[in-house]
Amino acid sequence: MKIKFLELKENYAKVLFEDTSPYFVNSIRRTMIADIPKLAIEKVTIYDNTSALFDEIIAHRLGLIPLPTHLDLLNFRKECSCKGNGCPSCTIHYTLSKEGECTVYSGDLRPEDSMWTVVDKNIPIVKLQKNQRLILEAEAELGTGNQHAKWQVVCGIGYKYYPVIEIDKEKCNLCSACVDACPRNILEIKRNKITVRNIEECILCKSCSDSCKKGAINVRGDGSRIIMQYETDGSLTAEKALKEALKILQKKYDELKKCFK
Amino acid sequence: MIIPVRCFTCGKVLASIFEEYKKRVYIDGEEAGKVLDELGVKRYCCRRTIISHPVFIKDGEVKELIDEAGEYE
Repeated sequence: MKIKFLELKENYAKVLFEDTSPYFVNSIRRTMIADIPKLAIEKVTIYDNTSALFDEIIAHRLGLIPLPTHLDLLNFRKECSCKGNGCPSCTIHYTLSKEGECTVYSGDLRPEDSMWTVVDKNIPIVKLQKNQRLILEAEAELGTGNQHAKWQVVCGIGYKYYPVIEIDKEKCNLCSACVDACPRNILEIKRNKITVRNIEECILCKSCSDSCKKGAINVRGDGSRIIMQYETDGSLTAEKALKEALKILQKKYDELKKCFK
Repeated sequence: MIIPVRCFTCGKVLASIFEEYKKRVYIDGEEAGKVLDELGVKRYCCRRTIISHPVFIKDGEVKELIDEAGEYE
C-alpha cells in the first residue's frame, strides 16, 4: 500500500491510498473518528455566573473548544499513575474570570502553562452585559471520539473510489452533451476528442454517461485506489492525525494477533 | 441565542468565523455564499448552520438573541 498526500494543509488533507481496498480505508476512517485521543474540557467548577446563559450551557460550550494536544505528554486519566486523582500528566487546568460589558472568548481561558493555550482564540463563549460576571475553573483531560463528540479530532471525513472515465472513440460523435452535463466541468473537447481536465475532481455522478445517447462514455470507480479527505478541528494537525490513527490501528491488529496464540 | 461552537452535523468549529461573517454579510452587504466560500465553509451542513442562525439589526449593529436576553434583570 502507498500513501500520498494530494493536498496537505495545517487542518485539511486529501490523501490518495494506492494498492488498497475499501475495507481497509474504512477501518482507517473509523479509527480516525472514534479512537484518536484528544484533550477537551471535562469538568467545570463555576464560582460565579450572572450571565444570560445557564451554567450547563456554558460548560457545554467550553467542552467543544479545541485544545492543543501534545499526546506524548499526556495519559488517560484512568490509566494514569495518579489513579484518576488528577495530576499534571493527565489533567490540564484552565481559569477564566471576566466582568461585563464584553464578550467572553475562548482566548480568555488561562492555562497553567502557555503550551496549552487554546488554538482558536476567537470562539465566543457568552456575552456579558454591564455588571454580569463569569468566574470559573475548568479541567481538561484526554478522551476519544467514541465517548463524546467533543473528543473527535477529525470532521467531515470521507473517501471515494478513484474515478476512471472511459470514452469509446468509435461511438462518440462529439455532440458535447456530456461536456454540458458534467456538474464539475471536467470534460472538454480538444482536437476532436473528449478529454478529461482534472480526473480527481470527478464525483462519479454518472451524469455524463446518462446524457450520452450513443453510450460512448462510461464512468466507474477503481476500488484499489481511494481518495480520502478530512479536516481536523485544530487540536492535532492533519498529518499527525493520520499517523496517530495508523499507530492505533496497528496496535489493535497486534492485540488481535496475540489472541490467536 | 449565541452562535453554536461547532457545526451540528460534522463538528467543524464555526463560532470563530461568525463575527467576520456577520460584519461582511449584514453590514457590508456582501453575498452570503461568496463570503462562506472565502471563509472555507465548504460543506452544506456547516453552511446551513451559519445561514440559519437568527440575527437582527438594531442601532446599526448586528445582534443575536443573547444580546437581548442579557438585558433582562
